[in-house]
Formats: sequence, structure tokens, C-alpha cells
Amino acid sequence: MKPIKIENFKVKVSPEDIIRALGLTKKKTKKKAELEKIIREEEPEIEQLIHARGIYKIIDWQETNCHPIFDRAKKVALAICTIGSELEKKSSELMKKNQILQGLILDAYGSEAVEQVACRLDQIIAEEAKKLDLWPSRRFSPGYGQWDIQEQAFLFKILPAEEIGVRLKESFMMEPRKSISFRINFYSTPDPLAGKSMCLKCKMKNCPYRKPRVLK
Amino acid sequence: MKEEKIFQAMAESIIEGNKEGAVRLAREAIKQGLNLNEVIDQGYVPGIQKVGQLWEEGEYFLPELLTSAECMKAAMSVLEPELTKSGVTRRTEGKVIIGTVQGDIHDIGKNLVASMLSANGFEVIDLGADVPLNKFVERAKLEKADLICLSALLTTTMVGQKRVMEIVKSESLGGKIKVMVGGAPVTQEWAERIGADGYGENAMEAVKVAKLLVNK
Repeated sequence: MKPIKIENFKVKVSPEDIIRALGLTKKKTKKKAELEKIIREEEPEIEQLIHARGIYKIIDWQETNCHPIFDRAKKVALAICTIGSELEKKSSELMKKNQILQGLILDAYGSEAVEQVACRLDQIIAEEAKKLDLWPSRRFSPGYGQWDIQEQAFLFKILPAEEIGVRLKESFMMEPRKSISFRINFYSTPDPLAGKSMCLKCKMKNCPYRKPRVLK
Repeated sequence: MKEEKIFQAMAESIIEGNKEGAVRLAREAIKQGLNLNEVIDQGYVPGIQKVGQLWEEGEYFLPELLTSAECMKAAMSVLEPELTKSGVTRRTEGKVIIGTVQGDIHDIGKNLVASMLSANGFEVIDLGADVPLNKFVERAKLEKADLICLSALLTTTMVGQKRVMEIVKSESLGGKIKVMVGGAPVTQEWAERIGADGYGENAMEAVKVAKLLVNK
């Protein structure tokens, strides 16, 4: 299978998500209302800075580098997505101009936006698995658990990431920063964790990034 | 307006995050020929100190801290050139070299710490992100800095902090230039293991630790 590129992702970030990411956990404060107003006012401009793109490829297990992370998989989907570099450039510019909070709002917006793109790409890949009569795992990224960050090199060997403007640095970090790379294994039996937010299992109940929802 | 009332209004402008007010009052102080060191110490500094206290009490969150830091910086950018013109040397809390270590391109956390240090009276030289490790020490020597602050966001890049500590020790600068570390995977235990002088869990904690270290 050839790599598939997707460029028409729609991203909609809610001000509540940004406010939560900024650590404002109290129910109602003056600052919270003020921030919500700022985010709503600037939303159209922020959306212009987001250029969401993704690329994925489904390969047979034999085509992998046989890392244990691919164990039991019949097939494996490798994917990279990004929201581009414009938003993070603007965020840095704002911070340099002493508009730290504005810069941080943009950064938080970008984090949430790229997470949404990854979720959407995850859903598209899950559909592909179903078409093959296989069961998708939840998505997993290099740098977590037993999958070393150096394994990014394998993903970038298989996927032409430059087609969506993503570059791998020597330290195995991606540029633009607001990019996510991951794998989804396709199994012959259902994966009990598939489609569930890992936040549900996490003990950090007050984490600002906690996502209580179950991904559909 | 009487001096005392101006000072009180200055503090309030910082506490309330009123940037325009903070700048207007700084200009007013220059126009009235007030002692600018007193303006800073008795007007603005109590304001930023109160903000820190409100944060510790759980009343203020990161957005409020940053807005107040922006106000402080804006007021200082009006006052500092006047101080320089009149040949008055402003006593700072200390000189800090800050940056994200080589291989790591994350700079948001580092920017927040830099802003809070600057708002709390430190002279901050920000080297940016992905900074070559020996550059921290070279620049600290050149600037006769009191403190080096090293940020790292990944377990793979936090080893850069250890390497900087080795450079500091090899140049017999241990104790002369203090080193503080921070970043998502960094802990007090890690700081102790690599022989760093301090660890800041968040931006405000970093200010507290930095003050303790430079006054040791």
C-alpha cells in the first residue's frame, strides 16, 4: 500500500479546553471569563494559523523492524500528523514581544488542535482496519513505555513525512513541534483498550490534560 | 498624586494585571522626577510579591502570574532607560543564563520561567532552545552570571543537564556559578543525583529557589 495523505482536517478547539490546559481549574473566576473572551475573539485568526495534515501507511508485520511493540499484529498502520509551523512561530513571536499569556494561549491551542488531528487520523485508520476484517489497537507513540524515541527513525523511513512538512531532528524530535507520530496495530481479535482514552486509567485525577471522554 | 498613593497604584496595577496602568504610572513617576529605584522597590516590587503570595494561596493561577509579569516587564522597559540615562545602577537579584539544552526544541516552560525571573528582579539572558551545552558555561563566565537555568522536556534530553554539570565541575566553577534544573521529567532526585544546586517544579518555585541560591 502507498502512503495516504490527508489535508482536509477540520479542527475546532473549545476555549474550555485551553483554559483547562492553562491550569485554571476553579469553576468561575474573573480571569477565566476574560480568557474565554480573548480566545473567542481571536479564534478566527488562530484558525488561519493551523494547517492540519496527516499521512499514514499500512504495512504487513513482516515489513516492520520486528520491534516488540508490533507483536501479534497482522498489519501495522504508521502515521504522522501536524498542524504546521505557523502557529508555533506566532506563539514565539508573541512571547518575545512580552505577550507571554497570548503566546501561551496559542501554544495550548496548538497542542489541543494537533491532538484532535491525531484522533481523527486514528478514526480513519480504525475504519481501514475494519475493512480488512481486523481489529485496531489504540494508538501509541515512540518515546512512551517500551518504545524508545529512537524508533522515530523507523516511522520516518517508512513514511515520506516531508510531504506534510514534518522533519525529524537528530534528537528524534519532530519539527514542527506540534506534530504527532504513532502506530496502530491491526489484530485478528479485539483489543480491549482500543478507542478508550488512557486518561481513564490514570491516577492523576487533577491533570489539566485529563480527557474523561471515551473516543468514539 | 502623592508619592505614597502612586506607589500603591503601581502595586495595584501589577496585582490586577493592568499593563496600560503600570506603564502610565511609570511615565508619571519620571515626569514627577521621583527616585526611580524607590519607585521600583516601593511601587512595583510589592505588587509582584503580592502576586506570588496570591499564587501560593491558590487564588491566582498561571494566567494571572503571566499577566502580572508582563505588566512588570512593561513598566521596567519604561524605567530602565531612564535609570541608565541618569547613570544609576539598578541592583538586581542576580544575573541568570537560561536555555533549553541541546537536542531539545521545547521552549514554552523555559520562557515562563525566564519571564517570572525577570519580573521578580533578575537580569535574564535567554539563550533560547537547543542550546549547545558548553555555551551555557561559556556565556555564564563571560557575563559573570550568578546562576545557570537548564530546561529539558524529555528523558532523552535531560542528560544534557548532567553534561553541563560535568562541564561546570571540570572548570572548577562549582559553587561559584549555581545551576538550577527544571522541565517535565526533571525531579528533585535527579537534580541531586547530577549535583545541581537547585530544582524548580514550576515557574514560581523556580523564582523562590533562584533567590535562595543567589543569596547563599
